Amino acid sequence: MSELTLLATRHSDRKRDALASLFRVSPNGFIPWLLPLSLLVLWQAAASYGALPPSILPAPFNVAKAAWRLLLSGELLTNAAISFKRAFSGLIVGGSLAFLLGLSNGLSRISERSTDTTIQMVRNIPNLALIPLVILWFGIGEEAKLFLVSFGVFFPIYINTFHGIRTVDPQLVEMARSYGFKGFELFRRVILPGALPSILVGLRYALGIMWLTLIVAETIAAQSGLGYMAMSAREFMQTDIVVLAILIYALLGKAADGSVRIIERLSLAWHPAYRKGVRS
Amino acid sequence: MSAFALKQSETIRGASVALRHVTRSFGTKPVLEGIELDVKPGEFIAIVGQSGSGKSTLLRIIAGLDNGFQGSLSIDSAKGQKTAARIMYQEPRLLPWASVIENVAFGLGPQSTRHQAFAQARAALDAVGLGDRGGEWPDVLSGGQKQRVALARALVSKPDLLVLDEPLGALDALTRIGMQSLLERVWLEQGFTAILVTHDVTEALTLADRVVLIENGRIALDLAIPFDRPRRRGAVQFGELEEHLLTALLKSKSKTEEYVI
Repeated sequence: MSELTLLATRHSDRKRDALASLFRVSPNGFIPWLLPLSLLVLWQAAASYGALPPSILPAPFNVAKAAWRLLLSGELLTNAAISFKRAFSGLIVGGSLAFLLGLSNGLSRISERSTDTTIQMVRNIPNLALIPLVILWFGIGEEAKLFLVSFGVFFPIYINTFHGIRTVDPQLVEMARSYGFKGFELFRRVILPGALPSILVGLRYALGIMWLTLIVAETIAAQSGLGYMAMSAREFMQTDIVVLAILIYALLGKAADGSVRIIERLSLAWHPAYRKGVRS
Repeated sequence: MSAFALKQSETIRGASVALRHVTRSFGTKPVLEGIELDVKPGEFIAIVGQSGSGKSTLLRIIAGLDNGFQGSLSIDSAKGQKTAARIMYQEPRLLPWASVIENVAFGLGPQSTRHQAFAQARAALDAVGLGDRGGEWPDVLSGGQKQRVALARALVSKPDLLVLDEPLGALDALTRIGMQSLLERVWLEQGFTAILVTHDVTEALTLADRVVLIENGRIALDLAIPFDRPRRRGAVQFGELEEHLLTALLKSKSKTEEYVI
């Protein structure tokens, strides 16, 4: 093996190490789960000894039974799939618009001058305040959810993309220009990697807002999805399903956050803060 | 044997630089006034001067980073073609998201094909003594090592002209001496023309064939340095010349102060 391929392998080795470290269970890996698990045990104990009436908070075991029942009937997966589809189509539509606008405003002063003030004004409207208007516009169809989620995820991604591009080290840009980099090559090699940490922070915020908006929209204006499942269970006093839905939200939030962490570890392996063994 | 004799035994590939009546003002304040400067192919020139004397502006003009000047600048390669300068800054300016070898290959510009670029980058890294560090991230290197990577990046494209903007200013004294001899060695080996801006008189005397003193936007002194290489900082004549240059520099400072008052 030539020294060059050796160098290249060493580099890809490190990427693989970064990937492996994500799935390696460290001896201290259970510590973050200690608190939620003991809460669960406490909860089960309280319910078993009658301290918690089932109509207020059903025992975890009953919630698990409800989950199993809904899983068998297919209801849970169907609703989860619908919610997932809504959430991610909103993220893709709103997120890519925000990314493109953030890029264009970050790179061009004319673009910034003509749109940024407007965006900053609209940004301060809570997106859930739009629900009455959105129902008037779209009814309770898919467009309503798509609109609300897109609207919600737009701002964190826009602001962080814009900020990321504006704060790329101008000395690096000058250096790259002096080596003949311009246009797309300058963007790809210097500006985008420099803005990426900030863009990913925006994505992380956006994922939180994405689920929040969707669940609220589904409880108010939907006929399917996890939010709807919880809402219709309320009408029949099925507390176990309501609690199940809430637990699923918690897990979804954790999963969304975890997936951005994986993206960060892989694409920001160069960043000292995301190096192996360092918690961001 | 003097450096020039040593270099003439090889093919000199350095560029010649000619500035004719170069004037640069910011607003109404003139920073450079009628600079006339000729640099021979393969020559090593040091530009010294007080802060605010215009030496960095002059360097930015030669490097092609500042085009708002009057007068003419021509940089011609040994073959008579127009050529571009490579720059080494005071900061290493390495891309933190690229490995050391990718940073060096970056110096070949956007068109370079990957495999070929890496082979050249590897050779450039070897030349600065960091051949085995190519796979690492820049932030694990020390300040001096980062500057060596920046030097390799500047040299990987085999430039005719290397322009250095106080590249050793931020290094500690020992590292700086090591970097000076490295710079001298690669310059002797590769035969490019070098223009170094520095405020360190000893550094200028150690490295340069000629020292140019800039004072209030004009060339106040243009001094050929006659010593053989490698130069001995402790030698008596070296000390005398150092004294002479320092006096000239300090005199220019007192003038500047009068000017300000």
